[in-house]
Amino acid sequence: MSSIRIFLIVVILSIMTLGVFISALHGYRSGILNAQKIFDSELADTAQLLSVVREAYHPGDTAALETTRYLFQIWQGGTLLLRSANAPAILIAPLKSGFHDRNFDNHRWRTYSLFDEITSHWVITAERLDIRNSLAENIVLDSVIPVVVLLPVLAVVIWIVVGRGLAPLERLANVLGHKRADDLSPISLKYQPVELKRLTISANDLLLRLKASFEREKQFTANAAHELRTPVSALKIHLHNLAQELPEGDDRLQALVMETDRMGHLIEQILALHRTTNDQFIANFTVLDLYTLVQDVIVGEYALLEEKNQQLEFRGVNRQLRGDQFALETLMQNLLGNAFKYTPEGGSILVTITGTGNALLLRVEDSGPGIPADEYERVFNRFQRVGGDRNASSVPGCGLGLSIVRQIVELHQAEITLGRSEELGGLSVSIVFSGGSVPESDEKNSA
Amino acid sequence: MQILLVEDDISLAEGLLKALRRDGFTVNHVANGAAALHSLESDTPDIMALDLGLPDMDGLDVLRRVRIKHPDLPVLLLTARDTLEDKVSGLDRGADDYLVKPFEMPELLARLRVFERRISTSASSEIQVGDVCLDTAKHQVLVNGTLIDFSRREYMLLKALMENAGRIQTRASLESSLYSWGEEVASNAIEVHIHNLRKKLVPDFIKTVRGVGYTVKKT
Repeated sequence: MSSIRIFLIVVILSIMTLGVFISALHGYRSGILNAQKIFDSELADTAQLLSVVREAYHPGDTAALETTRYLFQIWQGGTLLLRSANAPAILIAPLKSGFHDRNFDNHRWRTYSLFDEITSHWVITAERLDIRNSLAENIVLDSVIPVVVLLPVLAVVIWIVVGRGLAPLERLANVLGHKRADDLSPISLKYQPVELKRLTISANDLLLRLKASFEREKQFTANAAHELRTPVSALKIHLHNLAQELPEGDDRLQALVMETDRMGHLIEQILALHRTTNDQFIANFTVLDLYTLVQDVIVGEYALLEEKNQQLEFRGVNRQLRGDQFALETLMQNLLGNAFKYTPEGGSILVTITGTGNALLLRVEDSGPGIPADEYERVFNRFQRVGGDRNASSVPGCGLGLSIVRQIVELHQAEITLGRSEELGGLSVSIVFSGGSVPESDEKNSA
Repeated sequence: MQILLVEDDISLAEGLLKALRRDGFTVNHVANGAAALHSLESDTPDIMALDLGLPDMDGLDVLRRVRIKHPDLPVLLLTARDTLEDKVSGLDRGADDYLVKPFEMPELLARLRVFERRISTSASSEIQVGDVCLDTAKHQVLVNGTLIDFSRREYMLLKALMENAGRIQTRASLESSLYSWGEEVASNAIEVHIHNLRKKLVPDFIKTVRGVGYTVKKT
């Protein structure tokens, strides 16, 4: 059975219907039996009444009766003293005290014969059985039918009651269903029946174990990446020393240096990725000055820009924002890093912060080749680069940058969109921080 | 220039020793916190490069203890920790600078040069960037070998830019190196000084990074 509700309703209704019909059948049978007894005693009483009249009858007299249901005869010896008008002139029942079933006048009759000792009259009363039976049936059915008619009403009531009984299950399903994939916090429901408590406890237990195992995995990756920093440092320094010993212009170490840098970059990105997946993350938000933060990151990353002789411009308003400083720095470093990497020698990069109402827009644009629109969604995937591993830019990278950016954006409940820069023609990355920005307009467009 | 290097990773330490010695530094190496403190008792170096992840004690504890006896010793932290809290607590405990592993050797050398100039035991007090030579001892500036006259503020501005050649100086950081606390600064003071400096220097010597600040290109 795929639905508990339907199962319960079908089973309960079937049992109830069966019960109702059995009791109705029983009621019908005993009702009919009781009615027969009552009618019989009526018939006997009528005979009794007729016998006590004791009038001097003239043989062949008839008495008119307004009914077709009853008839009677009064006999003395072999003579019919009196009969009801609807009764035949022949003897309708044996002259023997008691009830008899007889056929005459094309009907079946119930008769009662009574002998009066004083007048030596035989009084015979008769009742048409078909009329009697239909009367009895009417009486019995009147009491049985309401029970049968009530069944659909009961079905509706049961439907509602079962629904209410199952409501906590529905709520639990909703809570579980609306959980985000990365939300492993325990479930808590206000009203919990005993039966569901066990389920909730087991589910929470599972969530906890899942969370612990995720944590272990995350911790392991973070620790491994962290531990790799020192050997990479040593590698870099040994390479530096080796390069010093080579004659000027010898670039045999170039590939080694590049690969070491690439490895170092990957380690940093993995660390950034794992640092920003912390549950405690949002709790540590502080009010930040986005303008200063962006400026600081530009200052920090400027050496890269200088290498390729690129022009950078920063236009912004001074607005405050609730967020995590380290994460937002990482975000900005990744966006600028991408812009530096993919913008050719002598190209331009534009960083803008604009505030409208409660929203804050951070945009990084460049004059590089951009990203084809159909790749916009894909580049956010981990280890995904435009054009795959054979990235046309021949720029080393690991494909984690934008997925880290998106992760940080989501943690700040912001929205990121990629597009084509109207001013510079390359990629334009826009991030809108909707809530949490603290208005304070102070146009800073100096220098 | 004598440097005490406190680093427990032997391979990294060996590489650093070689590189720093080639660049003319005298380097002593110890591999743990206790040895570092012991070494400081007998001999005070000019600069200390301290790794935070030491096997016997926390690098920040070493720093705290060093600061008691040597409040002025320039300390450069080398560390694999890089969270904001780590940086802040390192600088709060009195570190002068902070370098996160893995770092570039030229970057380490540049930071050490800044220390060197600060303690002015440097053999040369001259900073040469392109055609401009600034003598911090004589407070003189030579452009293409010709002595040029600068006002005190212009000289300080140029010095701040040349000392940090290759890095952007924001308007705020330039203001703070030119003016003391509470001093009235006109909103366009830096722009005016830069404008005047440019007239006396080679063209494009000072580059504007719009919206961020100014920089002098490292050669």
